[in-house]
Amino acid sequence: MPSLRESTPESPAPVRAVANAVAQWIDRLGAVWVEGQIAQVTRRPGVGTVFMTLRDTVADISVTLTCQRSLFDSLNPPLVEGASVVVHARPSFYANRGSFSLAARDIRMVGLGELLARLERRRQLLAAEGLFAAELKRDLPFLPGVVGLVTAPGSAAERDILDNARRRWPSVRFDVVHAAMQGPRCAAEVMDALDRLERRPEVDVVVVARGGGSVEDLLPFSDEALVRAVHAMRTPLVSAIGHEQDQPLLDLVADVRASTPTDAAKLVVPDMAEELRGVTWARDRLRQLVVQRVAREQELLDQLRARPAMADPRVLLDARWSEVAELRDRARRCLSQRIDRAADDVGHHRARARALSPLETLRRGYAVLQDADGHVVTSVSALATGAPVSVRVADGRVHATTTTIEPLDANGSQTAAAQTGHQEDGDD
Amino acid sequence: MTDKTVRDEEGQPLGYEAAREELIDVVRRLEAGGSTLEESLALWERGEQLARVCQDWLDGARKRLDDVIGEQPE
Repeated sequence: MPSLRESTPESPAPVRAVANAVAQWIDRLGAVWVEGQIAQVTRRPGVGTVFMTLRDTVADISVTLTCQRSLFDSLNPPLVEGASVVVHARPSFYANRGSFSLAARDIRMVGLGELLARLERRRQLLAAEGLFAAELKRDLPFLPGVVGLVTAPGSAAERDILDNARRRWPSVRFDVVHAAMQGPRCAAEVMDALDRLERRPEVDVVVVARGGGSVEDLLPFSDEALVRAVHAMRTPLVSAIGHEQDQPLLDLVADVRASTPTDAAKLVVPDMAEELRGVTWARDRLRQLVVQRVAREQELLDQLRARPAMADPRVLLDARWSEVAELRDRARRCLSQRIDRAADDVGHHRARARALSPLETLRRGYAVLQDADGHVVTSVSALATGAPVSVRVADGRVHATTTTIEPLDANGSQTAAAQTGHQEDGDD
Repeated sequence: MTDKTVRDEEGQPLGYEAAREELIDVVRRLEAGGSTLEESLALWERGEQLARVCQDWLDGARKRLDDVIGEQPE
């Protein structure tokens, strides 16, 4: 293969030649034991190689680490991010893409990695025993009698929990038991504290609280004995250890995990002000609804009563009354008409009667001559001198005796007889 | 408190809703007219009775409310 050193602008070497040359040179480096921290693990199903980032424990340098999936899977406990490891790897250069990586043949945990590995093994063991079973989790009491608190003396965690709890519920009662929250004595002291609190029946809930710390600091809170002790506890336990992302085994066995001490205070103690607001709101809402209902019904009733038919039945009667009145008036009218007509009729008859009645005639100076028997004399022949007669005049009757009779002819002049007769009277 | 004398056909003391329903019916028939004078009077009297029953129920309710609300000063 022509040496690349003689390459000139006129006869340049192809990329593949350069890449291959570099690859061969790197291959000659051979394998090496490297120490570092696993930063990133990318294990895709179906891909034979697992890609990781191996970071220097001190400097900010990292390199891609690859290994066969079978090797990766065989690691027990499994490789977790953050584990510090010692790797027997061979630097290799992937010509196609010109990427450099360490090809691992053997990976061993170390230090923290070993630590975490051991923790992981213990977690799996205890989990298998069912210590972390979800159904074992107990509910926290809504209003605890006494809140047991295991924490380091004068720690920020202690202050946080006490302040927050008291603000939420001023009459909360605490039983604080101090214990070392770090170092070899920690697990044992926490267990003693828990035991003491467990023996006090009025303690309804226990909180174990500690601020953030390194993995080593928090290791005691994954101590198997402690976890088993907590598992055996009767009182519900709240674990408030470290920061959000820390998860010692205590978190798994506790009934409730609080991410921070303040969060723990919220979990164990209700916020009285809020509860009160809730109750007041509910009561007010209740009253408002009922009052509104009664008001609405009252309004409806008032409307019904206001209806003319109910409010003023006279309206009804008036209608009837006007009807009756109208009928009465009609009756009257037609009656009076009848009366008037009757009156006219009578008047008419009376007039005629009056016209026919002799009274007027008498008034006009006529008189009616009646003989002794009361018959009306219509002819002189009916009488004889000396016959008693009565004469009916308008206003009375005159009784007389016929002295002389003087027949007249139709038009009123003396008839012959009368004249003759006249002389006869004279002779008697 | 509630006028128990007003009874429905079966002789049960009239509940509020029943009284209100009948009252609405009475008013409707009165306004429709067409009943004899005697019937209208009877209807009207029944209406008054029903209205009093409803009012009694509402007064009772309001009193019970005031008792409760009155007790705890706001």
